[in-house]
Amino acid sequence: MSEVVDAPVKPAFEPASLHPMRGEDGEIIQIRQFNLWYGASQALFDNNFSIERGLVTALIGPSGCGKSTLLRCFNRMNDLIDNLRVTGKIVLDNADIFAPNIDVIALRKRMGMVFQKPNPFPMSIYENVVYPLRIDGVRSKSRLDETCERALKDAGLWDEAKDRLESSALGLSGGQQQRLCIARAIAGDPEVLLLDEPCSALDPIATAKIEELIDELRGKYTVIIVTHNMQQAVRVSDNTAFMYLGRLIEYGDTNTVFENPQRPRTHDYVTGRFG
Amino acid sequence: MDNVTTDQAAIRPIDAPSAVVRRSPATALSARGEPFMWALGAALTIGIVMVIGFLLFVFWNGLVTFIPKPVAVVTLRSGAMVAGEPTRPELYRLSPDAIKALPPAEAAKVAVNGGYGHRTLYRIGNYDLYNEDFRWVSDHDVDKIDYPEEMVFIERLEWGVFVGRIRSVKIGDRDLANPTPKDPALVAAHKEARARWQTIRRIERDLIGRVNHDLEVLRLDVRRAEIKHGPASTQAEKARLAEAAQIPSLKSEYDRLTGEAVRLNSIAQLNTVTLADVTGKEKVLPLSSLVRFYPANNLSFFDKVSIYLSRWGEFLSAEPREANTEGGVLPAIFGTVAMTLLMVLVVAPMGVITALYLREYAKQGRLVSIVRISVNNLAGVPSIVYGVFGLGFFAYGIGAHIDDLFFPERLPAPTFGTGGILWSALTLALLTVPVVIVATEEALSAVPRSMREGSLACGASKWQTIKNIVLPRAMPGIMTGIILAMARGAGEVAPLMLVGVVKLAPTLPFDGYFPFVHLERSFMHLGFHIYDVGFQSRNSEAGKPMVFVTTCLLIAVITFLNLAAIVIRSRLKRQFAGNQF
Repeated sequence: MSEVVDAPVKPAFEPASLHPMRGEDGEIIQIRQFNLWYGASQALFDNNFSIERGLVTALIGPSGCGKSTLLRCFNRMNDLIDNLRVTGKIVLDNADIFAPNIDVIALRKRMGMVFQKPNPFPMSIYENVVYPLRIDGVRSKSRLDETCERALKDAGLWDEAKDRLESSALGLSGGQQQRLCIARAIAGDPEVLLLDEPCSALDPIATAKIEELIDELRGKYTVIIVTHNMQQAVRVSDNTAFMYLGRLIEYGDTNTVFENPQRPRTHDYVTGRFG
Repeated sequence: MDNVTTDQAAIRPIDAPSAVVRRSPATALSARGEPFMWALGAALTIGIVMVIGFLLFVFWNGLVTFIPKPVAVVTLRSGAMVAGEPTRPELYRLSPDAIKALPPAEAAKVAVNGGYGHRTLYRIGNYDLYNEDFRWVSDHDVDKIDYPEEMVFIERLEWGVFVGRIRSVKIGDRDLANPTPKDPALVAAHKEARARWQTIRRIERDLIGRVNHDLEVLRLDVRRAEIKHGPASTQAEKARLAEAAQIPSLKSEYDRLTGEAVRLNSIAQLNTVTLADVTGKEKVLPLSSLVRFYPANNLSFFDKVSIYLSRWGEFLSAEPREANTEGGVLPAIFGTVAMTLLMVLVVAPMGVITALYLREYAKQGRLVSIVRISVNNLAGVPSIVYGVFGLGFFAYGIGAHIDDLFFPERLPAPTFGTGGILWSALTLALLTVPVVIVATEEALSAVPRSMREGSLACGASKWQTIKNIVLPRAMPGIMTGIILAMARGAGEVAPLMLVGVVKLAPTLPFDGYFPFVHLERSFMHLGFHIYDVGFQSRNSEAGKPMVFVTTCLLIAVITFLNLAAIVIRSRLKRQFAGNQF
């Protein structure tokens, strides 16, 4: 399915060089010359940029610009789609994640993912959170309990859920369900957290809580968030990538991208001229 | 420009007449869809009325069958007497000769009715005396109808019911002349005789059966050793010696039991009852051969209730007698339930695994489409074809090979090489597997994509996702398929007639002999029982009430099985009830 072309890296332009980067621990994911096709139609064109470790990176852009597609490449959720073809590289710790010898399951364990709509499993809250451990065959009750508590605390759900761990997760409100999904995503101890418009199905109060949570997760995990909401990107992210029609237009420090964009199209988008 | 239109809309009064397109009333009616709705309602009503009507008809007829009815003694104009339970009246056309033979007054009545006369069917019983169980009596032949209190309705072990009087009873060396059916001495003696009869039956069936079984096991041991090691081998010799060593003790046990049975039988012969029909013809029977007797015209409400319940008790807990037209259907209930559950055990994994492969793993393409269409078409194959296939493939194919490999010592008597409950369950599993496959595929595809993605994103493999998320979530839908399959399978008769159902199975598929479960045995089935009683018995009129009762019971058994499955399904469903938005 994945076709890797080992072409020499020769980007059309280097957006990362437009702005100074703040990451102290360096880059965790490098995207190089990355192209993607759904059947005959190309969805991503020649993307080149790097995600910095420990920071929150926002992917913004109008609908259909390929930001969710790109996010789903990081943990290869796109594998579920037939007729998908990629060229170029996405490198995680010196390994191309589209290389044929890559263990997709291990890759996904390094990347927690939270989806647009909360998708808790029809199980108890406890079982939802420890699901990544269960599939690893962890039996130790103390380890499961410990992980459950840590993940729920990290996700800011512990105080609300600690007395009802055995009740069904479907009884939680939408915002709680989404925080539960975040807890589930971080229970497996990933390095990267992929958030695919995590607040689009939530009300403003639940959104505020999630944003607060993302703020607290900064530093512990590398967070990549896809969002339609530009204010949200400003509030939560350190770096912002603006994408348009499958191409990366501008990438850099969030404040700079929003306040002093270098490209006219970015300027038009962040000021609300289109999108 | 935009602003102008907005302003105009704002200043227009709310109730100003707007330019609405008027429709003709007929168009408006059809646009609102009422005629279509009425048609839907009518169709639903017809469906419900048919189902409820059918159920009421079956249940009413089934429930009234066991109510004791009065016995009428009809004196005909010719002086002959007929005694029996009035069963049903009927209007019939008299032949011209019959009309000519009538007295003028009656002939006039028939002429007024356009050549039709009334007649009544009486259940006269006494088949051994009259060679018929039922008799039509025309109303114009009747002189008078009485309901004498001493008329007794007797259910016997042989020859069906007896309608008449009890002349005398001999209990040992004591005689009771003209006893009433409620005479305490008679009731006590009858009870004792029935207990003795039960003991004799137990000796003959269970104890002597055990001895015969042991003898057969020894014979098979010898035969097996001979086949395996040759007739002259030391092993065969050893087996023969073991058999010879045990035979005398078994033989003496056999003789002792037979002697006991003979002794009890001779006691039973001393207790007899002399019955007389309405014309005075006598019949002497052992007291133990009477199952139940009651004064049909002299019953209190309590008596009637107790007879009714005792008949239901016998029906549900006893074995059939009188070519299935009397007695109980316990083996048939047992066979139906056991076969259906066995079928579910086979069809559920088979259907679910097939559907899982087709939906989750197979590459969707032309081949999978063809497989899917073929599976759906399988559901349309006549069930008798499955029966023929089951007989040919399972019984004569696989079964014969099993016999050759594992039971050569029993040949030429087949073990698995003939119809049995296992082959029946497998045949019905094949018949119902399309239902399970289709339902499971539907249920699997209804599992939200977000659930699968959530699990995969956690690092679960495909199989872990299916096992932990998809299957539990699809379980209610799968259960629906299993319920449908069960309903279809439990009511199926035609294929079973070829692969294992028999009119009368002497032994159940489960008993106290090792290995306790005998899936190769043929069995009885309520559906076949209905067919057998209704259409294969000596007297279809006598079988008719039993057909209704058995149908009632079959519907009840299937309903019970389905209810059990539905309860399980609703438990599963409750897990997924939640605010999913």
